Amino acid sequence: MGVNGNGARRVTIEGLWQRFGKQEALAGIDLDVGRGVFGLLGPNGAGKTTLLRTLATTIEPTEGALRLLGFDPHNPRERRELRRHLGYLPQALGFYPNFTVFEFVEYFALLKEMPVDSVRPAVASAIERVGLGEQATKKLKTLSGGMLRRVGIAQAIVNDPDLLLLDEPTAGLDPEQRVSFRAMLREHGSHAIVIVSTHLIEDVAAACNDVGLLEAGKLVFRGTPAELIDRGGGDDAGDSPLERGYTRVLQEARA
Amino acid sequence: MNTAPHPDDPKHIASCLICQANARQEAGELGINLYRVWSGIAADVWSPEVGRLESWSRKLLRSPGLARALVTTPSLFLSWIGASAFVVLIGIIATRSSGTPWAHILAPIVAAAGIAYAYGPAIDPAFELSRSMAISDRMILIVRALAVFGLNTAFGMVASLLASAATGLTLSWLAPMTAVAALALAVASITQSPAIGVTVAIAVWSVVVLISQASTGDAGSAIGAALVPVYLVATICCAAIVLYVTSGRQEKRTTWG
Repeated sequence: MGVNGNGARRVTIEGLWQRFGKQEALAGIDLDVGRGVFGLLGPNGAGKTTLLRTLATTIEPTEGALRLLGFDPHNPRERRELRRHLGYLPQALGFYPNFTVFEFVEYFALLKEMPVDSVRPAVASAIERVGLGEQATKKLKTLSGGMLRRVGIAQAIVNDPDLLLLDEPTAGLDPEQRVSFRAMLREHGSHAIVIVSTHLIEDVAAACNDVGLLEAGKLVFRGTPAELIDRGGGDDAGDSPLERGYTRVLQEARA
Repeated sequence: MNTAPHPDDPKHIASCLICQANARQEAGELGINLYRVWSGIAADVWSPEVGRLESWSRKLLRSPGLARALVTTPSLFLSWIGASAFVVLIGIIATRSSGTPWAHILAPIVAAAGIAYAYGPAIDPAFELSRSMAISDRMILIVRALAVFGLNTAFGMVASLLASAATGLTLSWLAPMTAVAALALAVASITQSPAIGVTVAIAVWSVVVLISQASTGDAGSAIGAALVPVYLVATICCAAIVLYVTSGRQEKRTTWG
């Protein structure tokens, strides 16, 4: 799958601001992300979803420069090409209740303008990868919340995207599904850029090779999970070393 | 163990573990990529046939994605088309019995409702996801709105023919229908609510009809030639509003297009 010129395998953000009225959702984010799984952590309202929506090109930045897979999303032609290489799972993904699993994933594969001959095998493959083969012909209204989340993941990966954006993907998944999902993340991150927003520290520990921590619209930490662990101390709040590092960084950012 | 013969049929293979195991064994010996084979079989078994309408749409639009978006338009579902046809039929009967062109007075309302409910965040549960697709939400909106408008124009033509004994054959209803449909779409786009779009369009059209009735004594003068320039200006203004709202220039929170 081709991408665009220099920096083709990178996400580069410079001075990104997002303001909604008087509220600053993102306040001057600078970030450069390459191939691998990047975990986006932060408390509620920190700006994780806004950042992912901006990268998914569903909202335009108030200020700042973006370069995604070498494409400039401000340019309509480049934005369209970028979107062909994009996989996105929104935090709150609605479903068409009368669509089957296959029809739903196929619909978005077609909207991504995948080559028409490759759509159906790719859809079948994506459905198998999220473990929904037995539900492929079932209507979405008959599925559980966890299954619907997996349908959302299937549509995100159906085009084997070079940039995969997942907002709270493990919400609603049971422990076994989370384990297999993390394996899928690692596998996809071996050849693409995966940015995953999560509240679950264990997801980051298990699947991410790079971590960013957002607080009040600012990126207050960037490093590996091991570096985040090193920031924590024995007296910090948290049940795991990573949680203690997370808590310490947040406390320092708020001080 | 099931000893019955196993047909060489994709549907059977998809549900039969024995056949799948046999296929795996045979494929391993032949060096075949089983996952690819299975994906192909599964795709054949799981995927519904592409309908005739969608096939035509693919050829016409030269885009399988747009064609699928078109055939899944809520206001082009059979139930909606049936309801629209019923309203037009009532209008035709009323026209033939009263001489007042009720079919043409009702036509803008039917078209406005169809277009307002063609696409948008209130209609599409996965609208946020749709906005990140290569085929833009604006393109989907345009294609769906044109298709719904075309269907309603066809309804209007039929109504015109069937009611011609009472009103004479006329096309003057097309201008107000276009204007009212454009108004519904513009308001629905601004408010992101098709219900508000339809309500405003019906309210404005009702006022126009009532004023026409009061000033000329004939409600049918609302679809007369005298008002056509007004409807054309209104249509252009509403179309400009729709294009502006869906372009992303209105405010930073709206879509990139």
